[in-house]
Amino acid sequence: MSKKKNSIIPHGNYWIIYVLPALLFYVVFMAWPLLDSLRLSLFTGNNIATRKFIGFGNFVRLFTEETSRARYWGAFVHTWYFFFIHMLVQNCLGILFAVILTNATMKGRQFYQTVIFIPTTFAVLVTGYLWKLLLNPVWCGDVLSKMHLSFLVRPWLGESTTALTCVALISCWQWMGIPTMMFVAALRNIPEDCIEAADIEGANAWQLFAHVKLPMILPVVGMIAILTFVNNFNAFDVVFATENVNGAPSYSTDLIGTLFYRVGIAGQHPIGIPDTGMGAAIATITFIVLLLGVLPVLKATQREQ
Amino acid sequence: MKKSSRFLIASFVLTLLIIPCLVAQGTQEQGSQKVVLTMGSWRTDDVEQMGRLLTEYKKIAPNVEIQFQPTNPPDYNATLRLQLDSKTGPDLMYARSYAAGQELFNAGYFADCTDIPGLMQNFTSSNLAPWRMPNGKMFAVPFAAVSHAVYYNKDIFKANGLAVPTTWEEFLAICDKLQKKGITPLANGVADEWDILECFFLGMLPDYVGGASERVKYESGEKKLNDSSFVAAYQAMADVAKYCPKGYESVTYNDSQVLFNTQKAAMFIDGSWTAGVYADATFNWGVFAIPAPKGRKTAICFHPDMAITMNTTTKHPAEAKAFLAWLCTKEGATTASKNLPSGYFPMINFEIKLDDVHANEFLALNSGKETDARFVWPALMDLYSPMNQAVIKVMKGQLTAQQAADSVAALKK
Amino acid sequence: MVISLRRKNKHIGSHVVMCIWCLVVLFPIWVLLINSFKTRLTIYTNPFWVPEKWNFGNYSTVFKDGNFLLYFKNSLVVVVLSLALVLIVSSFASFALANWKGKASRRLYLFFIAGMMLPIKIASIKLLEIMRALGLLNTIWSLVPIYVAMGLPIGIFILTEFIREVPRDLTEAAIIDGSSYVRVFTTITIPLTRPALSTVAIYNLIPFWNDLWFPLIFINDEKQKTLLLGVTRLFGQYQTDWSKVLAVLTLSAIPVLALYLCMSKQFIQGVIAGAVKG
Repeated sequence: MSKKKNSIIPHGNYWIIYVLPALLFYVVFMAWPLLDSLRLSLFTGNNIATRKFIGFGNFVRLFTEETSRARYWGAFVHTWYFFFIHMLVQNCLGILFAVILTNATMKGRQFYQTVIFIPTTFAVLVTGYLWKLLLNPVWCGDVLSKMHLSFLVRPWLGESTTALTCVALISCWQWMGIPTMMFVAALRNIPEDCIEAADIEGANAWQLFAHVKLPMILPVVGMIAILTFVNNFNAFDVVFATENVNGAPSYSTDLIGTLFYRVGIAGQHPIGIPDTGMGAAIATITFIVLLLGVLPVLKATQREQ
Repeated sequence: MKKSSRFLIASFVLTLLIIPCLVAQGTQEQGSQKVVLTMGSWRTDDVEQMGRLLTEYKKIAPNVEIQFQPTNPPDYNATLRLQLDSKTGPDLMYARSYAAGQELFNAGYFADCTDIPGLMQNFTSSNLAPWRMPNGKMFAVPFAAVSHAVYYNKDIFKANGLAVPTTWEEFLAICDKLQKKGITPLANGVADEWDILECFFLGMLPDYVGGASERVKYESGEKKLNDSSFVAAYQAMADVAKYCPKGYESVTYNDSQVLFNTQKAAMFIDGSWTAGVYADATFNWGVFAIPAPKGRKTAICFHPDMAITMNTTTKHPAEAKAFLAWLCTKEGATTASKNLPSGYFPMINFEIKLDDVHANEFLALNSGKETDARFVWPALMDLYSPMNQAVIKVMKGQLTAQQAADSVAALKK
Repeated sequence: MVISLRRKNKHIGSHVVMCIWCLVVLFPIWVLLINSFKTRLTIYTNPFWVPEKWNFGNYSTVFKDGNFLLYFKNSLVVVVLSLALVLIVSSFASFALANWKGKASRRLYLFFIAGMMLPIKIASIKLLEIMRALGLLNTIWSLVPIYVAMGLPIGIFILTEFIREVPRDLTEAAIIDGSSYVRVFTTITIPLTRPALSTVAIYNLIPFWNDLWFPLIFINDEKQKTLLLGVTRLFGQYQTDWSKVLAVLTLSAIPVLALYLCMSKQFIQGVIAGAVKG
């Protein structure tokens, strides 16, 4: 950060040229569309010809019209629950696996490491469909009953009480590899002296973890929390593959991602007429929520460094 | 430099890969005397049959080739819209009836078909209605209608001494008897949501609320959507839930077909379009109309489902129009019907005999009964989702029949 | 003495935990594979075991029908092109940002990094309009700029750090000798940042290959579909042959999986890069 200012290296204008291509792609295809989506939310109508300015009309309608409000809050709450399950299962198990995998004297770690990451290489669509079959009582019900496992024979994805949890767990199964590996890297980065010092002072494994390792990997935990949060607020594929775009059953698996697709892009089956202004409004709110969620965590973990 | 050589290799490989793609596209555009039209649809299952139909058309118009390019049904609306917006839409396409199709006509995508020769003359008014704008203009040529009925396994019925029921009460009694024998009576599930509504509930509704003349009374508000007929209909769904497979909450539409096909379920309330799936079934099957309760008249939901229309921005309007006109002639309609997928019925005025035994079975159900399109289609599409959810909830026992009816009635504007 | 005993015990527990998880991972994959070799109805009668009669028909049907190879080609073109562009564009930008001092540079850097946090999906509606205006809608080329924009933040993030660590003396020596910055870039910096480049490539490979969202909303033309989008056509609403679906799923999963199994170290390295710098 505090590097010597070297007179050989030119300033500003020369470097702009290097940055220009990146800037072009980024602004035209990311920054500007994002900001313009915010603008679109203030309009109604589906294409340029029929667009009309209505100020905050879309937002008002979203929160006052009964069905829209019910759908939005439903999706919002479900997405938070989805995130909660991920933090609990994906990230806690990830830390557990990482601790195990950084145990220097354990054999077979390479094998375990390789296997953990396999689901992450699949497309979410693939895992969604696969688990849809696995959780289908019609498919395996008879065989499971014969194996005296009939408590497993339930329409897991068909009951509104269990569907969302199952979908969230499927998503965790898919993404487990990434946090695990990140934690492994972070744990490996902990200087040996700290661990040795704790060992000498007679700390047991749990104390070693809670008081030495965990605090030192907190920045990474924060990073992963942010990535999980952002990912979950965009989750769409997994619901699309295991249930349907409506978030069946009874909208219980409806997430912000599916709501956005249904309202802003595809329209309600079977009519299929989208409301792009409303869709943009949903996107804007998501944008704000993400900023509000990400910035504090980012600041907190940066301070840790 | 390793990086530059890697780039060279990469670009070389890229070029190798791109060339075949470009060449493949190129050969398609050759042969400029031949006109190639594309036809869009949501029927990914009918590629074979439509192929045959279009080959027949080629015999009549040798320089016109029509390619059938269906899209996955859940994506059809969104993707069709995308294509139309970006002016890359197909030349001909299937049009959904009523509101869904009207909207696309209003947006300027569907061409005005009113003056296609034979259209206004060869179809009844009620068959033209689904694709007619309020001002009388037609935006598509009616192509096929579908019916809804109960598929039943004749062998299982015979083995258990069961006869085709004529009332709803008899139907429930049969279900009860089958269940006591350990056979799943019905294959229907609710995982995909649309099927329980479109095939079962809406297929059954004419039994309770009557035909088209009664439906308009509900639309105008003269009759309420939570009157005794509706409550009885929802109650019927609640009664039938216990006869659906165990775990029916997770049973998808395809699972239901498999259950019926493997004889694990004795009956399946479904649309006529599935008839082709059981063409090679190892057992005897037939269809009967969903019976009305004692005291009411059995009616059939015979739903005008598909029409074909023309893209306003097609580069070959004359050829496209010619195809549509052909569909309005007796020869064209007969050829079309002969090649229609099993379970689709022609809507034209001429008498057309279908070859398929089961198709005729379906049509035979219509005789002596009132028919109507699916209840919500003509004017109440807004209520599709609420009604769908209400039916599912009433089956799961989360709502009483009265509550379900009330919830939908409350949303009627 | 006590410590090593404790460690030995933990190992059994650890192995149990890891084995359970491996089962949870491998069992569904096993199901996926063996059921793809069964027929439409036998996957219901015999869900968990190897097929009594191996049916290779599913795979041959998929190859014959369904434009499968075409989808594969499309995905390959899109991904390779996007990755190439991401690498080129972000390495230039990172070189500049690493060497350029000052507030503007820092602000630009943060501007790019912000993209890692914000999902490009929420701008979909506007992106649709842009693609429509550019006339790229319904072609595979509509995907490339989007993926490049998606991959830039992480690319710049990783590469800038890496380039900063290239020893100053090397670059300075070259400049004193009279090379231009471009030469310094290509002959010195790039070769030294090769590990970072492969990290960026691999990190972006999975999301680019497995993306369903943008192909779904941009592309409709059969001939332009990417692999994942193309296979969804087979999951028709009215008629799904699960055994064929599973064959298709297996084929879609194989490319990246095979690549991963060959290069697992680099893959994991790529993922870790985010953590270590973060």
